[in-house]
Amino acid sequence: MTVSYLPMLTVDVAGSVTMIIFAFMSLNRATGLKEKHPENILFLYLVWICAGFTIFSVSRSFGHLLKQLLILSGNAEVWGYLGPYSGAINTTSFMIVGLITLFFKQSRQINMELLSSRKSLEETRVKLMNLNQTLEQKVVERTEMLTSSEHKCRRIFEQSLDTILVTDDNWRILETNPAGVHMTGYTRNELVIGGMHMETLFADKSEWTRISRIIETKEYVLNEEIEFIRPDGSIQHVILTGGIDYGAFGCDRRFHFIIKNINEKKEMEKQIAQADKLAAVGELSAGVAHEINNPLGIIMGHTQLILKQESEDEFKYYQDLKTIEKHVKNCRTVVADLLAFSRKGNTEYGVIDINRIIGDVAGFIRNHSDFRDVEIALEQTEESALEAMGNEQELRQVFINLMINACHAVEKRGNISITTEKDNTGRIIVNVLDNGCGIRRKDIAKIFDPFFTTKPVGQGTGLGLSVSYGIIKNFGGTITAGNRKGGGARFTVTLPAAEETRETQ
Amino acid sequence: MNKLLKTVQAAALFLVFLPVPSFATQMHSGAEGIIVHQLGHLFFLFSMVVLILTITGKELNRSKGWRLIQYAAFFFILWNMAAFGAHLLDNQINLVKVSDITFSSITISSETDSRLIETAYYLLKLDHLLCVPAIFLLYRGLCSLQVKGES
Repeated sequence: MTVSYLPMLTVDVAGSVTMIIFAFMSLNRATGLKEKHPENILFLYLVWICAGFTIFSVSRSFGHLLKQLLILSGNAEVWGYLGPYSGAINTTSFMIVGLITLFFKQSRQINMELLSSRKSLEETRVKLMNLNQTLEQKVVERTEMLTSSEHKCRRIFEQSLDTILVTDDNWRILETNPAGVHMTGYTRNELVIGGMHMETLFADKSEWTRISRIIETKEYVLNEEIEFIRPDGSIQHVILTGGIDYGAFGCDRRFHFIIKNINEKKEMEKQIAQADKLAAVGELSAGVAHEINNPLGIIMGHTQLILKQESEDEFKYYQDLKTIEKHVKNCRTVVADLLAFSRKGNTEYGVIDINRIIGDVAGFIRNHSDFRDVEIALEQTEESALEAMGNEQELRQVFINLMINACHAVEKRGNISITTEKDNTGRIIVNVLDNGCGIRRKDIAKIFDPFFTTKPVGQGTGLGLSVSYGIIKNFGGTITAGNRKGGGARFTVTLPAAEETRETQ
Repeated sequence: MNKLLKTVQAAALFLVFLPVPSFATQMHSGAEGIIVHQLGHLFFLFSMVVLILTITGKELNRSKGWRLIQYAAFFFILWNMAAFGAHLLDNQINLVKVSDITFSSITISSETDSRLIETAYYLLKLDHLLCVPAIFLLYRGLCSLQVKGES
């Protein structure tokens, strides 16, 4: 059959050209997709398949165009030579396209696995990030808690009024708080940096041996009352509690101690005991003095009556009677002192200007021959009048006693200073200080006892300080004795101010 | 291991010193070319079928781009079938002959003088009507994938 060739020619030529154009456009699109999504292996696959189509389209379309051209130009025999080559290229190109296409499934599989791995990786990353955030959050929270706890513990440690001590396994001090520095009297450098041994703090080294042995045996020691010695030699009464800390994370063994200063408590106990003792002695003395005073009065009366009636030259017992009279007078003085100590005598109370009395006493004493080489210094506060309620005469006696004692302490050659002031509670404080030999430690507890004296026999009755104690106590005050840091004794008289006494009454 | 080496060495000596005529190179007739080409078409067709099935199997055809690529594959299948048929008629079994080709006309004659075969051959030669839509659909599919990727 003979038909029109034009439709076939048109479709062949136009189709070939269109194929080439769309093949290149497809390749361009696929390349664009691949560039935008380099991680997507499917788009790489599309690039390959489009490249295959492009090769196929070009080879096929050029083949067709050449064929049409050669046939229409009457050179069909030439196409006979070229046709097999064109066909072979065509065959190869669509075989390639077919092969690439068959890899689609595998490519997609690889892509899915890659995407799945990526997703899994992303999920793991998110989980890790969350874990990390949680961990960071927890670290922050724990750090805050730890800081807060550390701050709290540090405050307790620093602010504690009791001493806290930490020592290493060899009892060397590693850490202490400010209260520890204050109580022991050593500097922080001496205690901590110098690694002072715990034993150094103990006044009695055998006590330390005992305490350390208890800790080693029982692993703790509870409320042990011991004495510490300070660098100035003064004794500190303390209650010690301690134990072993085995620590954590492989730390060395440590010892922790809490030490309570009971010095003031001890002093108070001593004073109470002393006061009780003196009160008892006072009661006894008052009774004895009262019983002795009457017979002494009778002896004195009769002795003086005989001495008045008889002449010194004619009466041979005159001198004997005089001796009796003298000793009876001495006895009466002692009895009067005893009565004064126990305050059984008559007294008149009124407002006393302490500064004036001390000034008078100092003036009076300076004229005494024993005080010729003694420097008496007065440091009286001028802030306000120091007025107390009491008996002026008795108070004079107190200060005279204290100054006579001071004079004996400095062995009639030295310095005595008297200071007056008001403390923050309004009480009047009078200090009588000397630079003498001071008071022996063992005598401090007995110094206000009646008949206690350190003077040679016959030089003191041992009643001066006990009488002074009785007087001051009667005025509602206190009198204490101690040693000064630089040497010498210190007597402190504390009296309530006049207005305070009036308010109380 | 030594035994294997000795065997190989013996075989090599045998081949070198006792040669026989070689029949390795086989002669090929002219028909091989068209058969290979036809097999190529069938392979292409098969790969397009696989592509369609894979896209469907993996549910990629939910996306418009992949659906268009599926259509393109379908058109390529049709084109392969048309090309296969045309080559079968004129090259393979030589049932149809083309002669007197001019701009205005072409003569198609079949061995059996079948008008139907001649008409079918004429239509099959218009195969660009199948492969051009196929490549166009491929291009549109890629465009769609690109738009989707950008969005």
